[in-house]
Amino acid sequence: MACLVRSWIPLLFLQSFLVAIAFGSNEGEEFSEELLLKPLPDRKVLAHFHFENRAPPSNSHGRNHHLFPKAISQLVQKFRVKEMELSFTQGRWNHEHWGGFDPLSSMNAKPVGVELWAVFDVPQSQVDISWKNLTHALSGLFCASINFLESSTSYAAPTWGFGTNSDKLRYGSLPREAVCTENLTPWLKLLPCRDKDGISALMNRPSVYRGFYHSQRLHLSTVESGQEGLGSGIVLEQTLTVVIQPETTSVETNMQPSWSLSSLFGRKVVGSCVLAKSSNVYLQLEGRLGHESKNVDTEIEAHKLWMNSDFDLSLKPDRVIRESSSLLFIFDIDKSSDSEPFDLGLTWKLPSKWSCEQAPLHASRFLMGSGNERGAIAILLKATESQEKLSGRNLTTDGRCTIKANIFQIFPWYIKVYYHTLQIFVDQQQKTDSEVLKKINVSPSTDKVSSGMLEMMLELPCEVKSAAISIEYDKGFLHIDEYPPDANQGFDIPSALISFPSHHASLDFQEELSKSPLLSSFKEKSLVRSYTEVLLVPLTTPDFSMPYNVITITCTIFALYFGSLLNVLRRRIGEEERFLKSQAGKKRGGLKQLLSRLTAKIRGRPIEAPSSESPAAESSFLSSKLIFKIILVAGAAAAWQYFSTDK
Amino acid sequence: MLADDMACNARNEYPAQVFNNENHKLNLYGDNVEVDYRGYEVTVENFLRVLTGRHENAVPRSKRLLSDEGSHILLYMTGHGGDEFLKFQDAEELQSHDLADAVKQMKEKRRFKELMIMVDTCQAATLFNQLQSPDVLAIGSSLKGENSYSHHLDSDVGVSVVDRFTYYTLAFFERLNIYDNASLNSLFRSYDPKLLMSTAYYRTDLYQPHLAEVPVTNFFGSVMETLHTDSVYKAFSSKTSNNKINSEMPLNQLSEHDELQKANIQNDELKTEKQKCPYTQMRVDLHKKLEKLENVDTVVNLGIAVMLLVVMVSSSLL
Repeated sequence: MACLVRSWIPLLFLQSFLVAIAFGSNEGEEFSEELLLKPLPDRKVLAHFHFENRAPPSNSHGRNHHLFPKAISQLVQKFRVKEMELSFTQGRWNHEHWGGFDPLSSMNAKPVGVELWAVFDVPQSQVDISWKNLTHALSGLFCASINFLESSTSYAAPTWGFGTNSDKLRYGSLPREAVCTENLTPWLKLLPCRDKDGISALMNRPSVYRGFYHSQRLHLSTVESGQEGLGSGIVLEQTLTVVIQPETTSVETNMQPSWSLSSLFGRKVVGSCVLAKSSNVYLQLEGRLGHESKNVDTEIEAHKLWMNSDFDLSLKPDRVIRESSSLLFIFDIDKSSDSEPFDLGLTWKLPSKWSCEQAPLHASRFLMGSGNERGAIAILLKATESQEKLSGRNLTTDGRCTIKANIFQIFPWYIKVYYHTLQIFVDQQQKTDSEVLKKINVSPSTDKVSSGMLEMMLELPCEVKSAAISIEYDKGFLHIDEYPPDANQGFDIPSALISFPSHHASLDFQEELSKSPLLSSFKEKSLVRSYTEVLLVPLTTPDFSMPYNVITITCTIFALYFGSLLNVLRRRIGEEERFLKSQAGKKRGGLKQLLSRLTAKIRGRPIEAPSSESPAAESSFLSSKLIFKIILVAGAAAAWQYFSTDK
Repeated sequence: MLADDMACNARNEYPAQVFNNENHKLNLYGDNVEVDYRGYEVTVENFLRVLTGRHENAVPRSKRLLSDEGSHILLYMTGHGGDEFLKFQDAEELQSHDLADAVKQMKEKRRFKELMIMVDTCQAATLFNQLQSPDVLAIGSSLKGENSYSHHLDSDVGVSVVDRFTYYTLAFFERLNIYDNASLNSLFRSYDPKLLMSTAYYRTDLYQPHLAEVPVTNFFGSVMETLHTDSVYKAFSSKTSNNKINSEMPLNQLSEHDELQKANIQNDELKTEKQKCPYTQMRVDLHKKLEKLENVDTVVNLGIAVMLLVVMVSSSLL
């Protein structure tokens, strides 16, 4: 009995050891889900879903994933992608009201349609092929027409203007791509809990697509492991940013509308995703300056933070953190379940106004000129109210204060830009280029082959009120097959990207929040960037029914002309009788004569004697025909011989 | 294949929702919808590429029709059409001979076992006039010279939400319960020309089985018939199990439902019965012989000389 017990104790140890190893190898994969809610000054609510999935470095063959989506790891492996971002957006990010200086808007205010950029880890000659295959694979994965980015007329290779310095970077954008449920569903299927559990269960499609702005973004980057033999780790970040207007029944227009998760999405959070390491909901309020109090430890003080004269929260937060002017309430939803759903609500009691911090200059873009031959594109940078606050920080070497602005634009080949017509106006005075333009990189377009790209770095004085850049272009002609079916709507020029390299947006809550990927990503200094509008350019479009019209008219005319001509030239009256007569009078061979005599006898017709004038003419006619035939055949043979041997 | 974005269109009062009835009971654009070709990708070229399977190498699997010789395929087309054509995107047309050609290629490449084409446009029956391949069943919502009409207008959304033919097809399926073994014959007989305001015409001359014996779930619905077998290497040539995938059919949708392969193991005999057409065999032999010759030029010259001789002789005889 004792020996039996002894025998299975080592077995038990062995088993637990093996189990520990099995878990240990998968322990590196982490998934966390977070939701950030933020009321916006213009009576809307921003909901930002953030899902992060990390796969640790491992041997490149034999990756076993239990949380990380296999489709993405196969994509990274096959196309050797170092970093990639794909975003699907509809709506315009309202910089005036929703801010432009915080990390959230810098990273999530994306251009309309599909935007894809990728950095590869392949030799320079293969980057384009990898890009092409990547676009096809992504179009199959996300049910979108991303494969239109494969042709060299739709993508560009930015160098320094884009913010990522690499020569293996490719960037493409499709402004007219529609975004709908079929794009969100495969994106959600990459999550371990799909859209069935946890925070992603909130995503009611009609609510998401009813919003003023919605943008789903997928960012993946590889993390090099220092060790040899190990492949690289992958970090996959998926975010969905939605701006929704809550329905409100209150009559007062001063008050912000009260909302709750169920009124925004029609659903509540019932339990977190069991596979997630951390599952949090954050509520960020801006402009909370009046509640400075050093002592938040006492119960009453803490209570006042989330239930006070201005507003009420329906649930008690687990933690409250403050940064310079914003308050962050943290809710942990691990405790919620079916019986206790998590339904956070915010009720406003007093009207409050605040403003979100904007980027130093507000960028907008528009077209100038009229007609279908030429036009001009202008970018206008206007100072915002945050400009004075931010200006003190940038000093150049000679003590002047300047704001640096990078402008990156792609022009399709049918917008033939004349780079020498670039004009820069600062405070409505034209400046010579060398004063303001510090760096410029131009890649001219080639008709039907590649698109044009323009990268500029401007250095503007800090007190600038407005700056304008204008450039002229000619409109090109498209081939008839290159027109889309709705050609008369016009053609799009993708958004320009304006970034401010001297400013960095970060939101640093001083407390130690290493566990939250969302807040640690806010902590990192990210480039302040804003995208301009997409421009719609009407090009000359032909009347597509004209080929059909032309063919029918010309064929009718030809038919009438040649028909009448042939009739006039060849038709003779009484032709048939003459033919019969000549047939009867021809000298025939023996058999034929016999036959004709036989038929004549049967029919009872008189036998006609063969005429004798014709043979001479006929024989010469025959011989001329023969000679002609021989000459034709000989000529054909000679030509064949000549052309076949002549190389 | 959806040419237009309807659900998330800015004009749609109900975003991400597409209804087929005024009562808004059923949202066809559910959470699991997948649209492989949309927008400018819906072209006649892409449609024919999907049918025949001739894609570029980079095209991913989800955009291909992965069918084989055991598949049952349902092809449903709707939109505007006319005498022997169907409109694509208001700029192109799919002609009946193109469709017949694609189906013929599919048959030669053994891409389907049975194909059912359902067309809901004006003069729909003319679209399959040129079909010749066997095992194809086709039904159109109207004959030549007749129009197909929409069923009712949803004044909330502002457009007509379903066509008559499609509405009565869906109504037929809604009447069935899960255990009914309805046949295609009952489906085709259920169309009433007075209600449709057109004659639903179907063509069965290319389809061998009797319609009364074919269950509707052969093409619509996902019914799996599994045959358990202990032995791995026996061939089941007559009884094959067909696995179908079905999805919703909203307005203006061109959807293809493809089938998975049979459960039996491949039989070697099936492969060797590939018969070559005698004409192609002759051409191949001739080509081989020509390749063996070293100097083709002398042969051609000799041929021309002989031709000259023949011409001279024949004309002297005349």
